[in-house]
Amino acid sequence: MTLEIHLRHDFPDFRLEIDLVLPGGLTCLFGRSGSGKTSIVNAVAGLLRPDEARIVLDGSVLNDLPPHRREVGYVFQDARLFPHMTVAENLTYGPRVRRRRVEGMARVVELLGIGGLLSRRPGTLSGGEKQRVAIGRALLAAPRILLMDEPLAALDEARKAEILPYIEALRDETRLPILYVSHALPEVARLATSIAVIEAGRVAAMGPAAEILSDPVTAPLLGLRDAGAVLTARIASHEDDGLTRLETSAGPLWLPHVAGEPGRVVRVRIAAQDVILSRDRPVGLSALNILPGAVVALHEGQGPGVIVRLSLGSEFLLARVTRRSALALGLAPGVAVHAVLKSVAVAQADIGAAASSG
Amino acid sequence: MPDWLSPEAATALMLSLRVSLVATLASLPVGILVAYALARGRFVGHGLLNGLVHLPLILPPVVTGYLLLLTFGRQGWIGASLWDWFGFTFAFRWTGAALAAAVMAFPLLVRAIRLAIEAVDPRLEEAASTLGASRLVVFLTVTLPLILPGIIAGAVLAFAKAMGEFGATITFVANIPGETQTLPTAIYAFLQVPGGDGAALRLVAVSVVVAMVALAVSEGLSRRVARRIAGK
Amino acid sequence: MRAILAAAFVVMAQPVLADVTVFAAASLKTALDEIAADYTKATGTPVVLSYGGTPALARQIAEGAPADIFLSASVQWMDDLAKRDLIRPESRRDLLGNRLILVAHGTVAPVTIDRNLDLAGLLAGGKLAMALIDSVPAGQYGKQALESLGLWQGVAASVVQSDTVRTALKLVEIGEAPFGIVYASDAVAGQGVAVVGTFPEVSHAPVVYPAALTVTSGADAQDFLDYLETPGAEAVFVAQGFQVLP
Repeated sequence: MTLEIHLRHDFPDFRLEIDLVLPGGLTCLFGRSGSGKTSIVNAVAGLLRPDEARIVLDGSVLNDLPPHRREVGYVFQDARLFPHMTVAENLTYGPRVRRRRVEGMARVVELLGIGGLLSRRPGTLSGGEKQRVAIGRALLAAPRILLMDEPLAALDEARKAEILPYIEALRDETRLPILYVSHALPEVARLATSIAVIEAGRVAAMGPAAEILSDPVTAPLLGLRDAGAVLTARIASHEDDGLTRLETSAGPLWLPHVAGEPGRVVRVRIAAQDVILSRDRPVGLSALNILPGAVVALHEGQGPGVIVRLSLGSEFLLARVTRRSALALGLAPGVAVHAVLKSVAVAQADIGAAASSG
Repeated sequence: MPDWLSPEAATALMLSLRVSLVATLASLPVGILVAYALARGRFVGHGLLNGLVHLPLILPPVVTGYLLLLTFGRQGWIGASLWDWFGFTFAFRWTGAALAAAVMAFPLLVRAIRLAIEAVDPRLEEAASTLGASRLVVFLTVTLPLILPGIIAGAVLAFAKAMGEFGATITFVANIPGETQTLPTAIYAFLQVPGGDGAALRLVAVSVVVAMVALAVSEGLSRRVARRIAGK
Repeated sequence: MRAILAAAFVVMAQPVLADVTVFAAASLKTALDEIAADYTKATGTPVVLSYGGTPALARQIAEGAPADIFLSASVQWMDDLAKRDLIRPESRRDLLGNRLILVAHGTVAPVTIDRNLDLAGLLAGGKLAMALIDSVPAGQYGKQALESLGLWQGVAASVVQSDTVRTALKLVEIGEAPFGIVYASDAVAGQGVAVVGTFPEVSHAPVVYPAALTVTSGADAQDFLDYLETPGAEAVFVAQGFQVLP
């Protein structure tokens, strides 16, 4: 799958100028609110008619089609369920208006865990339930691509945690490409296979998620405080003291209990500011996780900090240290270091299912 | 029919009901269309259409009736063609009474429906379009069900106005018992003779009862529909 | 605010301040306007004229409207007010008479209206415009005339009834009804209307316009009522198609 997006549109206060070629998988459009992310998905859906547009999905040109003929599924931030229909009627709306048979209902209902809601009306659903139904409704319209515009932004942390696994399952179990708008980095790090960073109506960076997240040049674009790379890890064992042992390509990692059977592959986001660097392997330290690696690159920002990109086994990690420490340690590309990570620094929300593809 | 209602009065009542019902039902589709155009349309002549729709509210009913006569009468520029081509005429027929009632009630109908359409969240319509519904299908499956309370309210208002319409009706189709003598014309005729007050008041009572029943039915209907739409 | 109140007061109070207030049947308007202007010029006494349908005027007087003189187009309604002691019986007089005529749209050759008239044939499927036959005097007289001439049965189904005799005339003017039955005085005002014939006086009860002072009438009212029977006033009535009754 490829989706080509070329847009130019003058809004009263800024210009949107986008050139993107997206691969399959789940692509996150990441950026501050007001950067133009939603306008991009609206243009793909046909809800925004830009001054200039060329939108091509797998060879078919979408930009001249009205919204109802584009075959895109759209999950809005506000679920936008039809209040006068039951959940079941909402779910089957797409096939019904296209006069097609409803296909895959049972699978979607199971995937999203909404079997108990079918005869209810939207007014009686919680925010999380509404959003799951909205996802199901978009899926059952048999779209060629799924657009999700901050589908979790209106939900509290508990509801987000309720829905994230469903979106991961969607990413991993369907072959449906997903264009996902978000300005929340933990969510992006957990879900994205590719990331396009949007700033002031333009594409500031674009690439595979692991690269963008661990690139010291692009990481600050995502917000310094939130910068952090993602490691892929396999659950090795749950230990008696409540810790879970994970295997990474750079060595073992102990984290507070991670849900899942041994053997399950998860993605762990490690914030750059939670990583401590040491030239020698430290001893007598309370931190459990000490992973050996090497400096790949350094990126100096405007402040007193430096972002260091490390290679750990086959993956990359970001560490944020002060410029003074970087000088004192003599950090430079090729220098061997140890990354020290406190187990409790990794929050549950930063651990998600790993993408099997993409 | 009860004994105290004379056969003429009973005829006038039945005719009024028929005229008002036909006027309301026939103007509904046009009313919904015009209301939609006024609520959502951006086109040249928007203000003109709005003014035109409201004209019967502003003009003295007698003038509206006279304009109808000049337009739809047998000699009128539309009426003459209707007669020549189809042998159909509104003039001095109950259909003319229905036309007069429909025109007089139209602004009320359109206003109620327009308000309802403006209250519909256009984002729901967007959502429907991304799911594969064309504009017409979006209207039929999303907009229309959501504005149903407004349509009911507008229809009842129009029906009530039609039941009470007098000025335009008597000017356009005069007063022919059994054909165009509606309840208000009958009441008016009774008031023209000394001692006719009693008969007139009985008809007024009948009108009030009809209006109350219509109102009660619509209230019940609206409440049921509103509950559905609230999504509960 | 005070100015608005003052203006409102003046507007509301005006009829009361005027010396003579006349409630008159609408059909008298053209003639009466002229006569009242002449009278005011001659005497300096202002006359306020309020025109309307006879039933509405009678009801307003019964409800205490400040009329000094009532000029009715119907004996019935004057009787009704008399029965309720709302007029001065000694002042009542039959002021004017009128004739019933058959009018047609456009140019139509005159006919004689009697038992032999083929009115239905004349209509040729068209409508016959009349005032309300059960309640408005012109309609009542018209129906009575047609019945006494044996013509009613033939045309009853073709009759369209208007709320006033003037509306019936209008229907003939614009051609919606090819024929109509109106007063001779109305035909003077009609445009594009031909007088086809006059109904025989014996075919219906005489058309009479009674006049009377109300019980609340002021001092100058009697003078204006008498003025209506002077030769000058009578000439104006005759010119408008009315008959002056002895």
